[in-house]
Amino acid sequence: MKLYEFQGKALFRRFGIATPDGVLHRKGDVLTGDRPCVLKAQTLSGGRGKAGAVVLCETEADRGAALEKILSMTLKGEPVNAALEEERVEIEKEFYISIAFDGEAGVPLIIASASGGTDIEEVADKHPEKILKLPFDSLIGPLDYHLSRVVKFLSTKRTKELTGLLKKLYIAYRDLNAALVEINPLAETPNGFVALDAKVELDDDAESLHSELFDALRKERSEITGRTVIAQRDTITYVPLDGDIGLISDGAGTGMLTLDMIRDHGGYAADFCEMGGLTNPEIMYSALERVSASEKPLRSLLVVLIGGFNRMDEMAEGIVKFVSERAFTKIPLVVRLCGTMEEEGKKIMRDAGLSVYDDLDDAVGAAVVGGGL
Amino acid sequence: MSILIDETTRVLVQGITGKSGSLQTKSLLDFGTKVVAGVTPGKAGQEVYGVPVFDFVADARTAAGDVDAAISFVPPLGARSAAIEAMDCGVKFLVLTMEGIPKKDVLDILAYAAPRGVRVLGPGTAGMIAPGKCKLGAQPARMFTPGHVGVVSKSGALSYEIGKTLTDAGIGQSAVVALGGGPIWGVTQMDAVELFNSDEETRVIVLLGEIGGGTEIAAAEYIASYVKKPVVSLIVGKSAPEGKSLGHAGAIIRGSKGTAQSKIEALAGAGVKIASSPAEVVRLVKECL
Repeated sequence: MKLYEFQGKALFRRFGIATPDGVLHRKGDVLTGDRPCVLKAQTLSGGRGKAGAVVLCETEADRGAALEKILSMTLKGEPVNAALEEERVEIEKEFYISIAFDGEAGVPLIIASASGGTDIEEVADKHPEKILKLPFDSLIGPLDYHLSRVVKFLSTKRTKELTGLLKKLYIAYRDLNAALVEINPLAETPNGFVALDAKVELDDDAESLHSELFDALRKERSEITGRTVIAQRDTITYVPLDGDIGLISDGAGTGMLTLDMIRDHGGYAADFCEMGGLTNPEIMYSALERVSASEKPLRSLLVVLIGGFNRMDEMAEGIVKFVSERAFTKIPLVVRLCGTMEEEGKKIMRDAGLSVYDDLDDAVGAAVVGGGL
Repeated sequence: MSILIDETTRVLVQGITGKSGSLQTKSLLDFGTKVVAGVTPGKAGQEVYGVPVFDFVADARTAAGDVDAAISFVPPLGARSAAIEAMDCGVKFLVLTMEGIPKKDVLDILAYAAPRGVRVLGPGTAGMIAPGKCKLGAQPARMFTPGHVGVVSKSGALSYEIGKTLTDAGIGQSAVVALGGGPIWGVTQMDAVELFNSDEETRVIVLLGEIGGGTEIAAAEYIASYVKKPVVSLIVGKSAPEGKSLGHAGAIIRGSKGTAQSKIEALAGAGVKIASSPAEVVRLVKECL
């Protein structure tokens, strides 16, 4: 779960990391009083600075106008519904600090750079030597020598304060089961280090360990967007696309392969719908329900199943139930079914008067010409 | 010996009494895998398709003898303890089938495994098969046949698909490995290529890649420097739209990063033969054999 900046900062403060004093404004809020401040759009996507959604204000007029402008923006498709107003901070230096993981190396890392700020991605591309990526042992956590290396790399006189901040950031990462904690920029000020931004991503797989926190954060998000945000425990991945061939697969890899094969046959998929490799008749049924409810008329509905953990008898049950209950005759249905419990699955389909394809290429070809059962 | 497993591999099933655990145990036994024991805490004394069940891995080892590999169906929050328990009992190869294990726990498992020389396949993997020798995963046995092609894929289903396509064309496999959908992997594409490269039975390597992330690029760099055997690659997701995540945690195109094209160029630059469909994988593999 990605968090808004103001949510991340509230968590940071809980772990003793300093942030500027701030107030959250919603749509319709009017600002009074005159003081210099920073106004920052609260969105989940990055690139706010470059989009002009972070504004330095000197006067009251500035503030009012800036808030109005920010709250009318849409950033990367996301309407801005809230803005964080913060006091201005006297900045001596700006750093980049994060704790994340390298999935292929299978290790957590501290990432640090003295070139903090909005251009960090460009720095990573063009000057990788300006970024320190320091892996540490997940079981032990970063040791003194890791922290010393980071501090030396960033070259600051406030070594003790920076070491302390790194320790706090690690404890936040560990105790929150975060997938990412990032401070960019981290400001060095005459009064020590202050997190000017906060990017926190919690691990959805650890939700049951932090259910109260997840609920509270979701409630906050609902209040800001005006839409109820519910837990995403759905095993189905559904992505609408522009074509007219409904697609369901029981694996991401075969789903992507089938997407490409549909194109090779001259067709276009209406969606990418993947049920995961461990499913059941109910999931099969609801995938069919979702894809057939497409707003566009479908030329055909292609179901690609190759069972490992998935049982083909269970998949066939889900398909037969859907077809019989929905009088599903208008959209040609093309099913490719093989793998675990294949014979049982085929029998269930045959008994219901439905046939199946064995070869993926044949099935894709049939779906593209709108043929089927 | 195939890579990682062979006909002598003695297997322990963790979480053997659950729905997945018991169904998959039957499929392993049907194939001929030597399943010597199972573990589910609190279920000692039971049997699953004739396999004795124990409370602890240590008890299983005392009663059943050496264990070379453990395949785990333990639910996500118990996965870390179960994996470390197996490693504490000297098991050197773990297959973690479950998805949804907290990332910190996965990183802990890998941190514990590395200095002990333990290989971890997964998490979220369909496992692997060495046709004719040993099956340590969900691969439907009839889609595979013994031979000399080593196949590595993140996706389980895609590994079956290509296994089936090769088998239908009369081409056998030395082993077919599924790594899991990420975002964290024990055995990586590069590791699998390295294993196949030094495996005597493997003559051709098939690398199945997908959009998103950079793991294929790392594999390409390794291939360019170290691999003499022919490598054939199919990258799926070419027609995927930018910015939309397609099922696997990493399968998303962000700007110019992780596109099929960038991977194809890196692999082609490393001398890898690029296939654009399963049928072409077969054609290119045949040329190399």
